[in-house]
Amino acid sequence: MSRDPLVVGRVVGDVLDPFIRSASLRVLYNNREVTNGSELKPSAVVHEPRVEIPGRDMRTLYTLAMVDPDAPSPSNPTKREHLHWLVTDIPETTNSSFGNEIVPYESPRPTAGIHRFVFVLFRQEVRQTIYAPGWRQNFNTRDFAALYNLGPPVAAMYFNCQRENGCGGRRYHAVSGWT
Amino acid sequence: MWSSGLDKHSNKKKNSNNNSSCGHGGSSRIVSSSSSSRSSPSSTSSILPQTPRRRNMEEVWKDINLTTLHHERPLASLLEQHSHPHHHHHHHRAMILQDFLSGPCSTVAPADAAVEDIPLPPPPPLLPPTALSLSSGLELQCLGGGGGRCGCARITGHSGSSSNSNGSRVNCQAINSSSNNNNVHGGPFMSPSFSDAVIGPPSPAGLFSFCSRKRMMPDVPVIGGDRRHKRMIKNRESAARSRARKQAYTTELELEVAHLVEENAKLKKQLEELRLAMAAQLPNRIALKRSSSAPF
Repeated sequence: MSRDPLVVGRVVGDVLDPFIRSASLRVLYNNREVTNGSELKPSAVVHEPRVEIPGRDMRTLYTLAMVDPDAPSPSNPTKREHLHWLVTDIPETTNSSFGNEIVPYESPRPTAGIHRFVFVLFRQEVRQTIYAPGWRQNFNTRDFAALYNLGPPVAAMYFNCQRENGCGGRRYHAVSGWT
Repeated sequence: MWSSGLDKHSNKKKNSNNNSSCGHGGSSRIVSSSSSSRSSPSSTSSILPQTPRRRNMEEVWKDINLTTLHHERPLASLLEQHSHPHHHHHHHRAMILQDFLSGPCSTVAPADAAVEDIPLPPPPPLLPPTALSLSSGLELQCLGGGGGRCGCARITGHSGSSSNSNGSRVNCQAINSSSNNNNVHGGPFMSPSFSDAVIGPPSPAGLFSFCSRKRMMPDVPVIGGDRRHKRMIKNRESAARSRARKQAYTTELELEVAHLVEENAKLKKQLEELRLAMAAQLPNRIALKRSSSAPF
């Protein structure tokens, strides 16, 4: 029995705790839906995607976060997680453009290695005010959810991204040597 | 058990299988070093100081790790072993193989307690860690001569001799079973030349290569420098991430395929039903209807 790609790709573990998917999430960059675990080029993800939340009840609100757990590099994720986007109060059946963009979308620009970019969806019980964190790096999705009582995530998906022209591999830095 | 050291994949798998015969369940390890380091003649040139027989596994492994191909254990000690018939009950463990491969064939001082009565060959001189390299070949030198009891094979690493190793493996097993009562030590790692050597003077004719040891034994502390060790660990993690990535993508595609196939089937069914429904209604529409069009 094949396992959930989120688990195999270690998204569950590095970013999220195991959860049960109770909502659906569609991420479209340039009108193309992104397959979970697929790879996109930085040039394809420059602008924010359209994140659709299919459903029935427009009264249900969702919070969406996009994080990079592999910042600055997967082998050395000291800045895990880097927050790229935070949108709240997205009504079900609509998409992210209908929500509140708390933290504006930042284009992924991985310099070293192949990064995962994770979209996490939380269901809001009420319309609540969520404050932007002071900085993007070292964001912790788990803590964030706990802080705002969002509960466990209801959906998640991720894609991979590396430098446009390759060589996300080891390069020599004068200070840190080969990394 | 012979094959356990040959490449790391079989190593892992076969180690557990080899437990019974080899007695050493730990990961076997072949020390690989650059073939250029091999310079000493095949005959024993130096008698190294004896070490206490009982060494624990770590020490032996360390020796193996630090020993390069140069090291030769004096055949004399091997001979001693041979001269004691009762020694022979010891198991030919994978470690023996490793010992053998890592140093002079006199070796083998297996760390196994079963072989306690075999005098431990003198430990190889500690070679600088840099002598260990992850080169693709393993070069061993066996001691030659010594009454021909021990065959030594010069094993040089080169890619072409993998067939040799297979052949030698077969030989080993054959020899092993046949030579058990001959007190021939080091059965498992015999090369084709070994069998000859049993009879006569050893010849360096036996050549076989081993896959480079790219993996350190888990229980051996950092060998070969921290940097290399760290690099190796990082590389492994990176490889693991790569595999996870690939696996995740594949899994997702499979799920999607399953989903799409299901959806497709459903839609087709729907289409059929609609067609039927339409066909049922159609006659009504086509049916001619009279309508009045005459002016009167």
